[in-house]
Amino acid sequence: MIRLRYYLREIGRNLYRYPGTAVGSILSLTLIFLLFDLFWVAAGTSNRMYQQLLTQVQMEIFVSDNLPDSVMTPLAGAIADIPGIKDVRYVSREDARLELTRLVGTDLLTEYDTLNPLPRSFILDLDQSVKNLASMEMLDQSLRQISGVTDVSYSRDWLSKAEETRSMVTRVGMILGLIILLTAVINSGNNIRLMTRARGGGYGQMLLLGAGRWFLALPLMLEGFLLCLLSAVLSWGIVLFAGRKIAFSQFAIVMPPVGDIALFCGAAALLGFVSGYVGVRKLLR
Amino acid sequence: MDGPLVELENVSAQTDRGEEIFRALNFTLLQGRSAIIVGGAGSGKTTLVELLLGLKKPESGRIEMFGESLKRRSAIRRARRKVGGVGGPFSLISTLTVAENILMPAIIAGERGSIQQERLLRLLGEFNLVPEARQYPSSLTRVEYTLVQIARASIASQPLMLIDEPSAGLDAKTYLRVLEYLHKASLFGRSMLILASEKPPLEMPNCNCYTIADGGLV
Repeated sequence: MIRLRYYLREIGRNLYRYPGTAVGSILSLTLIFLLFDLFWVAAGTSNRMYQQLLTQVQMEIFVSDNLPDSVMTPLAGAIADIPGIKDVRYVSREDARLELTRLVGTDLLTEYDTLNPLPRSFILDLDQSVKNLASMEMLDQSLRQISGVTDVSYSRDWLSKAEETRSMVTRVGMILGLIILLTAVINSGNNIRLMTRARGGGYGQMLLLGAGRWFLALPLMLEGFLLCLLSAVLSWGIVLFAGRKIAFSQFAIVMPPVGDIALFCGAAALLGFVSGYVGVRKLLR
Repeated sequence: MDGPLVELENVSAQTDRGEEIFRALNFTLLQGRSAIIVGGAGSGKTTLVELLLGLKKPESGRIEMFGESLKRRSAIRRARRKVGGVGGPFSLISTLTVAENILMPAIIAGERGSIQQERLLRLLGEFNLVPEARQYPSSLTRVEYTLVQIARASIASQPLMLIDEPSAGLDAKTYLRVLEYLHKASLFGRSMLILASEKPPLEMPNCNCYTIADGGLV
């Protein structure tokens, strides 16, 4: 308890005696964390948009002209039995013609009243779990093996690009996270190293009085903890404030859950503790 | 603790420049007893203090403080906590106030806050340092500086007081006052190890006086 009071007083003393260093450190750490926060919000928002687009992804399979209409119902049943398929909707030639008319605004098949050339098809509603390129390619292969299926159509290129983009965003996020981690550790660590240098004589005296090295190091490590925690909270404060003020008509900004933000701040504080250790490790030798 | 507070056996040591300063030095200080070691400039007083604080390793021989050999870092740390130091390598911490400087050994020892405060007030009063309690060491006179060091060396009831040149920077009157305090403290059972250029004008109770000569104590 006594030591804790001393540690807290030491932290306060350091911040009071070197306010420029402390404020500079908090601001630079806040900017670093802000960069990560914004990336997190952007990634969350784009992921929400991606998930919304995924709900519209369907698969359409076309059947041979030679098959009689009577086999359509058992064929639909066979397709529905394939895992990952939630619902199967049959599209007759007439339905296809109506859909085409709806899409182009005029009936292009007025000359084909007796012989509708449009193919019959099934539109498949898929489970969310199979709405990815690999699963849909496998599904494509399975469906093509069904007798009477002539073609399978889905947004393959779009899915491929979307997944590529997501993977890139994840990679960028990881690299950014790593850079931020290193920058925060170096920044906070250097700040604390400066403090230890400024107070080197005092620490020497404390060692002569029998202080343990951890006794000297802990306040500085706690200071790193506090600086990073404050910076992380400040950066999220800025993001949340900006999020309330800024609105887009095309999409909604997705903020991470409060629990995740709290976890991030905790992790940042822990990072500060580690950076404090980096700053004082020479003192501990 | 029943054994000796300080025990040096066949200790040989050199200065930083490699000159031999102690050769098979033997010295024992028992609990409750005091010793005054007299030696001129360059005789090895500071080296002896450094050896006792684990700041310097002997070339050979054995050093024990409070029954523990000063080989491990933890043993050195434990020994330092039991030593109240004045002068020599001991100085006040410039970033702490007088009161905080005095309290530091008690904080390091983890003593209770109420005990710390009680002892602090007593020591501040005893050395007339109450007006200086919130000042920083840079604003103290040499006399006040030494008195704060003595107060710091007493706050945690350290069993041994190590004083390097007690007269340094003090006028005759204050020096005598300091010696009277040390005399009183030794009467209460604290051991003193005083290293001085000249024998102090006041006799200490239970005290032996040595002179550093020819790499040993006589």
